[in-house]
Amino acid sequence: MAAKIMICDDDEGILDLLELILTDEGYQTVPELNSLNIASKVQKEQPDLLVLDLWMPVLSGDQVLRTLRNNAKTSNLPVLVISASTDGKAIAMNAGASDFIAKPFDLDLLVGRVKNLLKAA
Amino acid sequence: MGKIQSITILDSLHQGQFTFSSNTSKEDFDLLKQALDAAISGVIITDNQQPDNPIIYCNKAFETITGYSRREVIGHNCRFLQQEDRNQVARETLRNAVAKGESCVVELRNYKKDGTLFWNELYMSPIKDAEGKVCYFTGVQNDITRRKQAEEELRTDKAKMERRIEERTRSLRESEEYLNSIVQTVRESLLVLSPDLKVLSVNDHFMKSFKVSREETEGRTLYDLGNGQWDIAELKNLLEQILPTNNPVIDFEVSHDFPHIGKKLMLLNAHRIELEGQYKDRILIAIEDITDRRAIEQRKDDFLSIASHELKTPLTTIKGYIQMISKLTAESQDAKLKGAVEKTNAYVERLNGLISELLDVSRIQSGKIELHKAPFDFDTMVKESVEALQHANLSHKVVVTGATNCSFTGDESHITQVMTNLLSNAIKYSPDSHEVEVHLSRVSNFLKVAVTDHGVGIPRDEQAKIFERFYRVSSIQQRFPGMGIGLYLCAEIIRNHGGSLWVESEVGRGSVFSFTLPLDEKGEGDGR
Repeated sequence: MAAKIMICDDDEGILDLLELILTDEGYQTVPELNSLNIASKVQKEQPDLLVLDLWMPVLSGDQVLRTLRNNAKTSNLPVLVISASTDGKAIAMNAGASDFIAKPFDLDLLVGRVKNLLKAA
Repeated sequence: MGKIQSITILDSLHQGQFTFSSNTSKEDFDLLKQALDAAISGVIITDNQQPDNPIIYCNKAFETITGYSRREVIGHNCRFLQQEDRNQVARETLRNAVAKGESCVVELRNYKKDGTLFWNELYMSPIKDAEGKVCYFTGVQNDITRRKQAEEELRTDKAKMERRIEERTRSLRESEEYLNSIVQTVRESLLVLSPDLKVLSVNDHFMKSFKVSREETEGRTLYDLGNGQWDIAELKNLLEQILPTNNPVIDFEVSHDFPHIGKKLMLLNAHRIELEGQYKDRILIAIEDITDRRAIEQRKDDFLSIASHELKTPLTTIKGYIQMISKLTAESQDAKLKGAVEKTNAYVERLNGLISELLDVSRIQSGKIELHKAPFDFDTMVKESVEALQHANLSHKVVVTGATNCSFTGDESHITQVMTNLLSNAIKYSPDSHEVEVHLSRVSNFLKVAVTDHGVGIPRDEQAKIFERFYRVSSIQQRFPGMGIGLYLCAEIIRNHGGSLWVESEVGRGSVFSFTLPLDEKGEGDGR
């Protein structure tokens, strides 16, 4: 069965793009625009990987990440953070990200990292 | 009394027939005459019983002083000694004394026979007969020219001195006013404290900034000002601990929440000041309010971060779709389509680079570049940078030789940026070549990277300038577009990591950009 990847970004364009890339690679995707819904949706959907943006309104990606890491059920979920923020990598790694890619990203790089994370999990 | 008679009397005096009193002997008279001739003061006698008070006697000294001989003196009124210089106040005094038959002392400007001026200090006293009638006047004169000159010199010297003191005082006051106007105008708060921390003076800007008046400030102890709002622990430490050690306090940042004016971020500079003989151990404190400046800097940084983030978000989508298109058209035989996709991708990369550079420049300028240091495999980083670039530039082959075999502790994203920048420069500035070389090595406790191209090269006189911000080599400005930021950033990044970046180049032959980075003492990477 194809791995299930949850994608969360407040920008619809990027959300669409990520869905297109990942479905094209044969993954099942669950998109989410609102960061407030992630925690509950992760519980419900039980994805194999979460692709997460950092700068989002109300609840930032690193806040979401910390919540997930503090919950026993989601503490081991592989999370790939993708951000256009210059200090994004440090913030993401501090909050417990499994990996980081800067925006704009290289398509092959993204696919490669996703594969690696799923393999490791 | 007739004229003939007066001449008779004069002659009789000359011939020793004149008697002062009925019982003066001829011997006595001769003795007196000789005594008078021996005196150094000029002595004359005028006869007030004759018209115009003629001189009836003068001694030798009178002749010596005036240069006139007896013959030219006897029978004349004294005024001939003033020649044309008649308008003298002293003459009035003299006239009055003669008229009243009183004695007087005057200083007259008299003239010798040869016309030279001499100051005559003249004692005139009347000689009266038994009934008290004034018959004669004796005049004793002394040449006081030298004394007068000395007095005059003294007077001019004194006047000169006074004038000079006045000038000095005025210029001192002017320069004090000048300095004071500077002190009052300067847009920095200044206050001077006594050794026991009482406020001696403050400038206008201090009063304006901290909303206090001079009255409620000067003479008070610093800590008591404005309900103790200056009772700041850091400031106390500074004034009581640091300053007594004779060290000036430079750019000491203090943040304090003032009850009335709110939170202020201040830069303090303090010095002990001393003016020899006047005061010592005073403390001058300069306070610069940097609250607004910091806020503006922060806003600028925030703005640039947001702008960069917001610009990159749609760019991410564009880049993603272009890559999708590139993938979908991989099988296509349409060279035009493939070329268009490739070019679009390259220009998106360039736009992305520009956005990142602008943000980085702003950060470096405000000195706030943050290094996120972590150990990373240096050779892998180089390999990845080369691959990424090779991917987008098919025109050149990037050849990597050597190895550092190092794990380097530094900001990987920054070092990657340097690699990418040097590589894309090498490609960009060697349009007629097809190869760029990267050589990796370990030199002592440094790792070294050299990027070699066979391109246009850089003139010798411009080689040092290319690392300056916004500098563009003049000869290539038209041919190769760019902002002149890349190498400046590279140099800053390498410098921030304790390394150095330099260039060796020859016009028409190409350039070698090299940088070194220090490895820590533990010799990280050894034995890999």
